[in-house]
Order: sequence, then structure tokens, then C-alpha cells
Amino acid sequence: MTTEAVIAEILAAHPREQSALLPILHDVQAEFGYVDAAAERIIADALNLSRAEVHGVVSFYHDFRSAPDPRPVVQICQAESCKARGIDTLMQAARDAAGERVRLAPVYCLGLCSVGPNARVRDQLHARLDEAQLVSLVKAQ
Amino acid sequence: MSGTQDRLVYMANQIARNFAVQGEAVAIAATARHILDFWDPRMREAILAGDRAGLSDIAAGAIARLQASP
Amino acid sequence: MGYEPQADFGTPEVRADTQVTLTIDGRSVTVPAGTSVMRAATTSGGAIPSLCATDSLAAFGSCRMCLVEVEGMRGTPASCTTPVAQDMIVRTQTPRLEKLRRGVMELYISDHPLDCLTCSANNDCELQDTAAEVGLRDVRYGYAGAHHLGQQPDLSNPYFLFAPDKCIVCSRCVRACDEVQGTLALSVEGRGFASKISAGQRADDFLSSDCVSCGACVQACPTSALMEKSVKEHGKPERAVITTCAYCGVGCTFRAEMRGEQLVRMVPWKDGKANRGHSCVKGRFAWGYAHHQDRITTPMIRESVDQPWREVSWDEALAFTAGRISAIKAQHGARALGGITSSRCTNEETFLVQKLVRAGFGSNNVDTCARVCHSPTGYGLKTTFGTSAGTQDFDSVMDADVILVIGANPTDAHPVFASRMKRRLRQGAQLIVIDPRRIDLVRSPHVQAAHHLPLQPGTNVAVLTAMAHVIVTEGLADEDFVRDRCDWDEYQDWARFVSDPQHSPEFLEAVTKVPAAELRAAARLYATGGNGAIYYGLGVTEHSQGSSTVMAIANLAMATGNIGRPGVGVNPLRGQNNVQGACDMGSFPHELSGYRHISDGATRTMFEQDWGVALDPEPGLRIPNMLDAAVDGTFKAIYIQGEDILQSDPNTHHVAAGLAAMDCVIVHDLFLNETANYAHVFLPGSTFLEKNGTFTNAERRIQPVRKVMEPANGLEDWQVTQALANALGLGWAYTHPAQILDEIARLTPTFAGVSWDRLEREASLQWPVNDQFPDGAPVMYVDGFVRGKGHFVVTDYVPTDEKTGPRYPLLLTTGRILSQYNVGAQTRRTANTAWHPEDVLEIHPLDAENRGLKEGDWARLASRTGETSLRVSVTDRVAPGVVYTTFHHPETQANVVTTDYSDWATNCPEYKVTAVQVTPSNGPSDWQEDYAGLTARSRRIAAEPAE
Repeated sequence: MTTEAVIAEILAAHPREQSALLPILHDVQAEFGYVDAAAERIIADALNLSRAEVHGVVSFYHDFRSAPDPRPVVQICQAESCKARGIDTLMQAARDAAGERVRLAPVYCLGLCSVGPNARVRDQLHARLDEAQLVSLVKAQ
Repeated sequence: MSGTQDRLVYMANQIARNFAVQGEAVAIAATARHILDFWDPRMREAILAGDRAGLSDIAAGAIARLQASP
Repeated sequence: MGYEPQADFGTPEVRADTQVTLTIDGRSVTVPAGTSVMRAATTSGGAIPSLCATDSLAAFGSCRMCLVEVEGMRGTPASCTTPVAQDMIVRTQTPRLEKLRRGVMELYISDHPLDCLTCSANNDCELQDTAAEVGLRDVRYGYAGAHHLGQQPDLSNPYFLFAPDKCIVCSRCVRACDEVQGTLALSVEGRGFASKISAGQRADDFLSSDCVSCGACVQACPTSALMEKSVKEHGKPERAVITTCAYCGVGCTFRAEMRGEQLVRMVPWKDGKANRGHSCVKGRFAWGYAHHQDRITTPMIRESVDQPWREVSWDEALAFTAGRISAIKAQHGARALGGITSSRCTNEETFLVQKLVRAGFGSNNVDTCARVCHSPTGYGLKTTFGTSAGTQDFDSVMDADVILVIGANPTDAHPVFASRMKRRLRQGAQLIVIDPRRIDLVRSPHVQAAHHLPLQPGTNVAVLTAMAHVIVTEGLADEDFVRDRCDWDEYQDWARFVSDPQHSPEFLEAVTKVPAAELRAAARLYATGGNGAIYYGLGVTEHSQGSSTVMAIANLAMATGNIGRPGVGVNPLRGQNNVQGACDMGSFPHELSGYRHISDGATRTMFEQDWGVALDPEPGLRIPNMLDAAVDGTFKAIYIQGEDILQSDPNTHHVAAGLAAMDCVIVHDLFLNETANYAHVFLPGSTFLEKNGTFTNAERRIQPVRKVMEPANGLEDWQVTQALANALGLGWAYTHPAQILDEIARLTPTFAGVSWDRLEREASLQWPVNDQFPDGAPVMYVDGFVRGKGHFVVTDYVPTDEKTGPRYPLLLTTGRILSQYNVGAQTRRTANTAWHPEDVLEIHPLDAENRGLKEGDWARLASRTGETSLRVSVTDRVAPGVVYTTFHHPETQANVVTTDYSDWATNCPEYKVTAVQVTPSNGPSDWQEDYAGLTARSRRIAAEPAE
């Protein structure tokens, strides 16, 4: 199926209302791993939004990528509690372990403030990380 | 529409055709009135003097009325 | 007037029935309920620092500069988003507020270049002003950390630049594009520190985005992030003059901001009642033609059109012209002479041209370009309502519940009004579009027509009759209104006619190609959806039944009671700035000013006494009849002011033959236009920036045009006409257009209360202005029709004689595009060509495929009348069997293919329907090449004045 046809299927599964924009973007991101300029245009046209509006929304959320990035992602919390619990001291080791192969994405709070430092891979949460655990988590991807 | 005479006949018929829905008597009077109101004298003189074979019944009636009381 | 930016009250005006009184800094202030504290403070003489607020936009509350203290409220609320309350006590300046504001300001300035001295907004910058107001003395943060300085500007738009390093991301530009213009071309890209104003998508610049260059974002910007390139070039203006735009019939008023005689920029005037502070790419930016090198500023004459032009003095040119006119009059009589007034010139100028023809030449052979655009409006609305004008003001659209647009493309041709209309549509009004083409209004971001009826070109009357059928047979007519306001017998005749099953949507579907169910739904919506307002344009008038269509529209409005209050009505969208005015001024051959027939003895006597001459009581020739008479040898001389009939009128070959047959063609224009190829005399004209006078827009609003610089040719256009009159011995002695306006008021009952002094005081007046309507009439027929009872006219659908067939199987219809204006004489001489460098032919994919045509290919466009060549654009905006183009470029000469067919009542040409064939082509047609040669020969100007 062409990209257009896949997006059309996604659009067909949602109401043609502006409020459907975020769910549609999530589906497109999940399907392709990104929401590129062409997808923005198709979605804008379908919902009768301007392409600037859709681009504004896509670019606002870090979860939406504008281009494919095949690397696995490890989200590491950088918010206040995790900072207080020492995430900064672990980051260099995490970066070394990731190299170019794994993408480390900063996030701000995963809702587990009392048990940080925390990270997330896909839908799996990881708490009470020390350097070795974080490095092995990165390497496991 | 080559010459001016052809064009005048065409115009008169077109006016008449648009008034025709109001019935022949009203249409003849309205067409005559329209030509009197909006046509330059040389155009009226030309259509009065020219060949009327191409005129519709209503247009011909209007021209005849103008002839009677210009 | 000196140069002061217009006062900004921070948030929009609120209309409310109840008033609220509060105390601000010890002052008692009373404002309408719902007003913001900021507006209450600023309108009562106070000032609150702010950056993200401006009174054209809804309050946003992001900049945190406008904080205030309110007794009994916790914290420091933003005054822009806090509505007033009864007995509220507000303080706008306290030590705590000072400290807060200074802290916020310090953060703004920590990421803003400190190059104020060399900045194009220096001394005209809200950021600078606000820094001063809050007493910022120190910035502690330095530039060592992350910042946005050094980012490269976007220079893609020809008229303004975007400098992201100067941007404070207040989002005023984004909101202006959304709320004021309604294009939504801008957004904030990214988030947090990375937030950046972005046009279109990531890879776009302003030019490649959806931006229509209306200038609203530039006007809204508080810094120099969005700035006119002309200000960068010329510096800050030192004075501002309020004047009226000379492009379309919306009639926007602008501040012409000047340095000396240099126009620095045109900024829409917020107090202008037609545009309410908005503008489009033409009026705002496309004024460079005024100084274009093609402009002719010296009079020129020649014995015959095969000779080169000879530059001469005004005296010699006028003597030559007067000599020729007098000789022709002596030999052929007064009726061999005539003139054409211009809808681009002022009321005073058109009045003088028709006076010159009637009183000086001695004939009534005066016509105007409205002949080829809105003459059916004059006929149709006069016949039904009694007055040749639209019924509403533009503000009225904000009270409409159902908007019916037929044969008009407002977003391209009347963009500033279209933005108002779109604002109302976003508020929830419903839209019906009747147009062969899927115009932008049918579907564009946040606007979606409830019904689009894509009718076959030439079937307007059938569609409107079918709508009337639905309204009458389904019992949706407002019979109480009709009995009260209209002739009941005529209504019954009309109702009987439209009720005939042969006028049902189902029966007429074969003709109109409009699905009957859709048409029925549209008719029901118009009749029952609340206030129904009809807006129409040349897609109504430029047909063989243009006048019938106007009357059919009027019938619909009367039958549904949609007349006589805000939010309803019948509204012609006028093409040119002064079409309404030119028609009002007696530019038609059968009418004196105020639409009074030349045969009316009392009216004629009034003019004869005032002018001291006898007038011909017979109607004169219309433009097409003038050309016929010229070919026949009875019409010999024409004075054409500000009009290019060779390019704008139908059947170019016939126009050329008529002009070639005349002995004296006088062209009075800014440029050597296409008509001037056949001229013997060229009188240089002045632009709207170089003259005083008045224009009357589509809502009957008379507005002053003011001279901001001396005419490059030395004379305002009315002075040229007066000089010609005096060369003919008429002895006119006007010294200012105000005197001409007095004469108009003296002789025209609907203008009786209009004067230059009053316009100076009141800025605009909507006629009629007289004893009955001393302050004018924004909405007409509030208390009944002028003619007594509204007049229903039975309009029978008569198909045009221009028919498709095997040789010419497609229907060509024509229209406009946003960036260009009319024949393009002005806009082609500006940077607007960045958006529309040539005319293209829109063709449906099926028709293109059948002909082996691809996007961008050259195609030959041929009709029974002629042929031309242009590039194609393949699009399903047009239906199969229909093709579409514009006529802005003389190289294309779209009117080579249009025919002689015209409206039955007014001879307005049938531009909108021509049977054509489209075939692949290698390039320009023979006619285009011949014509290019003729133009080159004809435009020669002798290097040295002849001995």
C-alpha cells in the first residue's frame, strides 16, 4: 500500500473533526515512525486545517518525528526529582553506551518521582536506576 | 453577426425574448419602451429603416409601435 | 497630520447593552460590560505596558507585561484577559508591578539584539517603548548562554522580511493571520526555547507558504521582526495622510506614510469603516507602479497611428485635440463624438468627463467600464428595488446567518471583505456557493460551504428559478413581508411562474447540471436559516441574462424577507474602486447623475440651467454601439479616461476595428496601454496618490482620496479634463475637486448632503445623504422601498446563443486572481508578479488527458471569435467540460476569444461563457505575434521633438 493509502485508512478510522488531530498523528507516528511534511499536508486537507497549523502541532510534541529514525529510543527523565536523585551523574555513561546506535530522549517526569532516577523504553518503565542498570538498559536495545 | 443591422435585429430579438414571458401585449410595449430608453437615435432609425425579416413577432410589434409613435 | 502610530487600546472593542463602572488608578471609568481592564485603562487615558496585546486581536495573555493589581483578587492578573467588573478597584502601577514587569522585560531583552540605532524599527518599536515604560536599566544575563541572535532573515516575500533574531514570539503575527486574515499560514514551530514563528511547514519560507501577503502580520508585529522592506530602505515615515485605495470596490482606507514626497508604506487605517484596519497584497504593497519607468508624464500626439509618437507641451496637445474634435463636430455633428469615464478615477473626475461629453461635445455618447461589469446591477436593482446599488454595508455580514455567494470569488477579488466573511463563517454562519468552479471559499481551512452548486456556466437564472420554486412550493416564502413591502399581485404572478413543475430543480437539473437534492437543500437553508445575505459578482452580471439574474436574486431576497435590516440584503461586489461612483455620476449614456433618465425634462432642465447649455434629450451610444458606429462611419472621436478597452472589452478584433476607424482617439492614462496603440493623442494621467477627490465603494460609501505627492505629469486628472474643456472654449474654473463635489451635490438628490468639508469631518458617508437620510444609510429599505413597493419581475431562463458543439466542445469562463488586478496595468508593474507571472488555463484532468495535455504545457485556446495560446494547469477545481482563465496579461489577450454576445438589457458582455476548443500548441498564436509587432511599432516615441 502507498503511504497515501495507509494514511487514508488511518483517517477513515477517525471522525473528520479537528479534535481528531492528535489521535491521527499518534496513529501515523506509530505506523511509520514519523509524521513528515507530506503526511502533514494530507492530514491538514482531511481535517480542513491549514498545513501550518498541523505543522505547529507536530513540531510541538517531541513524540512526533519529522523524519524516520530507525534507532531504538530510551527516554530518560530529566525533571527535578530525578535530578535530585542524581540522574546527571549517570548521563555520560548512558551517552557512551548509546553512541550513534541508540537515541536518548530527555523527558520531563514519568510520574515515579519517589523512586528515580527513571527511564522508559517503549511502554516499559524502569526505576531506581544506577549507572550499571542504565548502561545495560541502553545496551539491551 | 456581421453588420450593424444584423446586430440591431439580434439585440431587439433578445430584448423581446426576455420580455416574452410576460405575454405578447406587455412584451411588445416593454420592448418598445426599452429600445426608446436605451438606444441611441441612429440605432432606432436604422432598425426602423432596415429589413425587418429577421425580427421575432414581439420585436416586430415593438418596432411597428415605435414607427407609429417614435 | 504628523506621524504618530494609531492608538492601540490593547483588546477589541466590545458591544454590550450594559455599562460597568470601575476605578482605575483613582479614576472612575465606565465601559461596556465585557471590556478588558486593559482597554478600560487605555481608553480612559491610562497606559499599561504590553507586548502580546493589540486591539485587532483577541486577548492572549502570554507576555506578562500588563499585570495589574485588583483589590480583593489574589496575585497580579493580566489586564488584557481580565474583564471589568462593577466597582472593581484596579492599580496599574505599584512597586510590586514595577518589579515584576522589569524582571520580565529583562528576560525579553536578554535574547534580543541591542542594535536599536541601526534597526529599521528604531523609534517605532513597541519593545523599545515598553522597555522605556518599565524603566529597564540593566540586563544581568549576558549573551553567553543560548540565544537566537544571528539567525538569518527570510527575505522571500518581495515586500516584507522576517528577522527571527528580532522576534519575541508574542504570536501576534500568527493570531493576525488566523483571526484577521483567516488564512492561518503561520504557526509557532517547536516549543519552549526552540519556539519559532514559522510560515507553512518546516521547509517553507514566507513565499512558498500559504501566505497571501496581506500585511496583517507585519502590522501586528511589535518589533522589526516582520517589517516592510520599504521602511528598511527609506527610513521611518514623518507624516501620514488618510486616503482611499484605488484597487477593488471594497474601498479600504489607508494611512499613506510619507517622508517628503516619498511614500514609505501604506498601512490600513483602523478607523476605516470599509476595511476596519485590514488590507490585501494589492492595496498594502502594490503601489510601486506609481513610479514605474513605463509611466508617461509628457503629452504626446501623432497625425496617424502608423507614425511614432511626438512629445509635446500640454498647450500643443490640447490645441491639437480641440482642433480635431471641433473639425469632426463641424463635419459629422455632435453625435460623432463621445467619451468613456473610468471606474478607477474619482467621482469628481468621472462627473467632469460626462459633463464634457454632454455639455462640451454636445452628445450623450458617454459610457463607462461598468458597461462591461456591473451595468446589469444598475438595471436589475433599479427595476426591482428602485435604487441601483447594494443594500448593505460590509459590517452587515457579521449579522448574517446564511451567506449565499453567487458568481463571485471574494478571497481573490475582494480579499479584505472576504476576510470579514470568513470570520463570520468561523463563528458559525453557513455558506452556500453557486459557482461553476470550486473557489477557495467552498473549502479552505476552517471554512466549509454547506452547499456548493457547481452549475453549468450560463444557467444562473435556471438555478435561481429552481431555488425560488423550492421556496414557494414548500411554503418557505415570507408572505407577511411580501404583503407589507412588495406588490402582492406581482408576487403572485411570480410565485405562479416559479411554481411551474418545469421550474423544479429536478426538471432543470438537465440544464444546470446541479443535483436537485443539493439545490433543494440550499434553497431551504437560505429561506429558513435566519438572516440570509446574498453576495454576487461578475459571474452574475457578465452573461446574456446578467440583468435577469440580478432581478432573480432580488426576487429571492424579497420573497424570503431578507431585506431592510443588518445581516441580510443583496450585495454586488464591485470590481473596481469606483464602479459605484462612476455609475452614480451619470456615466451611462441614458442617465444623468443619480440614475435619472436623460429624457426626464425636469432633471435635464436643472442641468441645463446649471451648465448654461442645452442637452440632447436622447440616450447616447453604449461602448459596443460606439464601436459599431465607428465601423459604420458615424462615430469619429472618443476621449477615454483611465480605461483600456482593447484589453478589457470582449472580441478584441472588433474593438480594434472600431478604434482603427476613428479619426481622433484620445487616451488619458498612466501608461501607453493597449488601446493607445490606436490613439492619436496621449494625455498623461495621475495616480490616486497624486490627486484629491472621492471614491464610492460597493457599500455606497463615499470616501476622500487625498493628494500625498505632486502629480508626476504636472496635473491631476480632473485638471486635464478641465484643460481640454477650456481648449474647446467651455470656460471651466474649478480650483479644487470640492467645488465639483458641490456641483454634484447641487444636482443630485442622493448626494445633497455630501460635501468635502463634511467628509473631512466624518471620514465617510453612505449615500443617500439628504433630508430623509441626513447621516446616510448603512442599510437601505429599513422602512420600505424607495419606489414604494418592491417589484417582483418574472425572469424566464433563456439559454445563451453561445453553444458548445463538435468544433468547440468546452465552455470557457473567466475570473480573477488575488495578486493581480483587472487588466494588470498596475499590478503587473509591481512585485506582485512573484505570485502570478502569466495567465494560465485551468482544465479538468479528464479533458486534459483527452487532449494529451500535461501541467504546464502550451495550449491553443480557440473560439468562433479568435484564438490565443497559454499554459495549462490541470485541476479538478473546474468540472469536466469547463475551462477557466484570467485576463490580467496582455500577452494572453483572453478577450481575443470572447464573443460579442451580451446581456439583453445592458449589453454587458458575456465574458463568462464562450464555447472553445483546447489543443496542444507549441507557443504563442499568430495573433499574439502579430500583435506584439504592432505594439512595438505603435509605441515608438520620436527621439527628438519634430521640427
